[in-house]
Amino acid sequence: MFKIAFKDLKLFFADKRGVLLTFLLPISLITLFSLAFGGSGSSDESRPQTLVVTDEDGTDFSQSVIAKLDSLKEIEVRLTTLDTAQRWVKKGNENAVLIFHKGFKESVEAGTEGAIELQYDAAKAMEIGILQSALIGNLMSIIGPGSMKTKIVSRFDAQYPDMDSTTRANIHQQITENLSGSAQTGGSDGQGSMITTTALVREKENSPGLVQAVAGTAIMMLLFSVTGLGASMLDEKQEGTLKKLLYSPLHPNSILFGKMISTNIISMMQMIVMFLFSGIVFGLDIGHNIPSLLLMVFATAFACSGFGVLLAAFAKSRSQVQGVSTLIILSMSAFGGSMIPVFLMPAWMQQVAVVSVNYWGIQGFYDIYWRMLAFTDPVFLSKVGVLLGMGLVLNLVALRMFKKNVLDIS
Amino acid sequence: MIQVQHLTKSYGSVLALNDVSFHIRQGEFFGLLGPNGAGKTTTISIMSTIVAPDKGSVTIAGHDLVKEPTLCKRNIGVVPQEIALYNELSAYDNLLFWGSLYGVPSAELKKRIDTTLDLFGLFDRRNDKVKTYSGGMKRRINIASALLHQPKVLFMDEPTVGIDPQSRNLIFEVVEKLHKQGMTIVYTTHYMEEAERFCDRIAIIDKGQIIAQGSLEELKSSSKIKECISVTFRELQQESSRKLATLLEGDFNITDGTLSYNTSNVRSDLSKIILKCSEAGTEVAHIDIKKVNLETIFLNLTGKQLRD
Repeated sequence: MFKIAFKDLKLFFADKRGVLLTFLLPISLITLFSLAFGGSGSSDESRPQTLVVTDEDGTDFSQSVIAKLDSLKEIEVRLTTLDTAQRWVKKGNENAVLIFHKGFKESVEAGTEGAIELQYDAAKAMEIGILQSALIGNLMSIIGPGSMKTKIVSRFDAQYPDMDSTTRANIHQQITENLSGSAQTGGSDGQGSMITTTALVREKENSPGLVQAVAGTAIMMLLFSVTGLGASMLDEKQEGTLKKLLYSPLHPNSILFGKMISTNIISMMQMIVMFLFSGIVFGLDIGHNIPSLLLMVFATAFACSGFGVLLAAFAKSRSQVQGVSTLIILSMSAFGGSMIPVFLMPAWMQQVAVVSVNYWGIQGFYDIYWRMLAFTDPVFLSKVGVLLGMGLVLNLVALRMFKKNVLDIS
Repeated sequence: MIQVQHLTKSYGSVLALNDVSFHIRQGEFFGLLGPNGAGKTTTISIMSTIVAPDKGSVTIAGHDLVKEPTLCKRNIGVVPQEIALYNELSAYDNLLFWGSLYGVPSAELKKRIDTTLDLFGLFDRRNDKVKTYSGGMKRRINIASALLHQPKVLFMDEPTVGIDPQSRNLIFEVVEKLHKQGMTIVYTTHYMEEAERFCDRIAIIDKGQIIAQGSLEELKSSSKIKECISVTFRELQQESSRKLATLLEGDFNITDGTLSYNTSNVRSDLSKIILKCSEAGTEVAHIDIKKVNLETIFLNLTGKQLRD
């Protein structure tokens, strides 16, 4: 019994790659998830939230309010025009835009409402909630007291027109002190009415959680399936069928192209089945834009199969395929948004996410089922383009490596 | 049909082929024999276009291997040593796939598959998955898959390794039939009886060089040895064996308690051997005198058994 155990341990440690992956893989995943959920451990490192602001009012007052917002450590203001800001939100690049409408200064002085508007993407409900709570409190601190004071004082004066000037001045002073005290504590009733909110990208029948779950899981599982391609190429090599294919008049590259085609077809079938299942079981409205769905399925399958083809061309042994693919897929899925939504991750991880197939695939499916973009919408097509580009690059690299690694059968 | 000239190939610092030249005539059954690592597989790999030579040239059916590889490939069929089939597919589907790679029209290909399956005695099992086949049946399908495009030249790399006698006999029948039909066959084997039975000409390769080539009769007549004296002992102690080896002179070896002595003069050498055996203190059980065969020629030329 102990002899067998010793022999197995000896075999295990003899496989240096296996040993490395055994420890490296969980360490990598722990690192990724820790970074994604909790940052690097120190709680005081909260990053500022980017707030896109449009100043339609253009007065000294609106500019000073914006400057005060920008000086807050939890908010980083990004000033732009209304059109640009709305485009960013619609494209999904930004979550919301805060608009200071024309007449903002007058409305604050008059104590009326509605001159500040927050237009947002309803798909980012969680982020908007966090932003709103930070925003309202701070806006109240900056402009709330003045606005409220004007409103209360004018109502008071209208109600008691005959009061003597000394008493009136004392009461006005009292109102001012009370309002500034309440503003410093962070809130009072009716604060929310200072900002009107409008969903620029509206909430649809498809829950964003469902789209996230279906698209994220589908792409991650697709990546695992295409690793089978890498293994199948090795099987062909080990069983001699690759050599036999090379005896035939086929061009050697045709072998790889053939694998690409079959993998693409299987990948597309797999994705379609997963979406059909989600439609039937979870009620995802897959019928709403079939052409976009098919295009996105094709683009995602092409990019994922490119990964599989690259793996097939790169790997020299089955253990390499398994080890490398597991590490890459889990990493890409973790920071690409398959496991947790990208918006929950730290800023640097959100930037890294764009190199993964998962990110563009998930965002593309969001465009179809959440943002309800049309087939011809440039925002949607740009994601398709990125996926096709990724697939193309991966396939071209694979082609170069295929000759070097796989066709070397001597 | 095949011209091989000054073929040289190295793998790193290892010289696998060193200035190898030979030719194979149309319709000829050509045997390529050599011990393991001699360069047979490298030669076959170059002739079947999957390995590029460092130097030298090969033409097949008038086409240069490097300049016109596709035309060469259309003229050759390769039966690799390993069974290269898709186990999860049926025999019929395997043949359909491999045949389709050579551009045989579908209807014609299907006819050829039926004929070939019949030829190899596997028509009744054509729809069974290959994984359910015995080793011999798989070998037969492996050969069949190289014949569907009706190549002019067939390379067969040890096609009968590890199979049952029934399958071997069936393969022999098919190979002889193909030869009679005029197909040029290049055959490598470890079995001397196969080479002796089929080959019109034989090339013996060792350490990357052709050390002899010709018909079996030519090889025999050019050999210095004519006969082999085989002595079996009742019991051969290690010490006696060592002593006998020091006493004997000439071309001999002692393995598994048997002395094999190659000679061109049996009459004079036989008495000397008996005397030396007696001096070494051994007791002879049996003496056999064999005419020279391919095995002894091979052993004499390479110093190795063919199965080494």
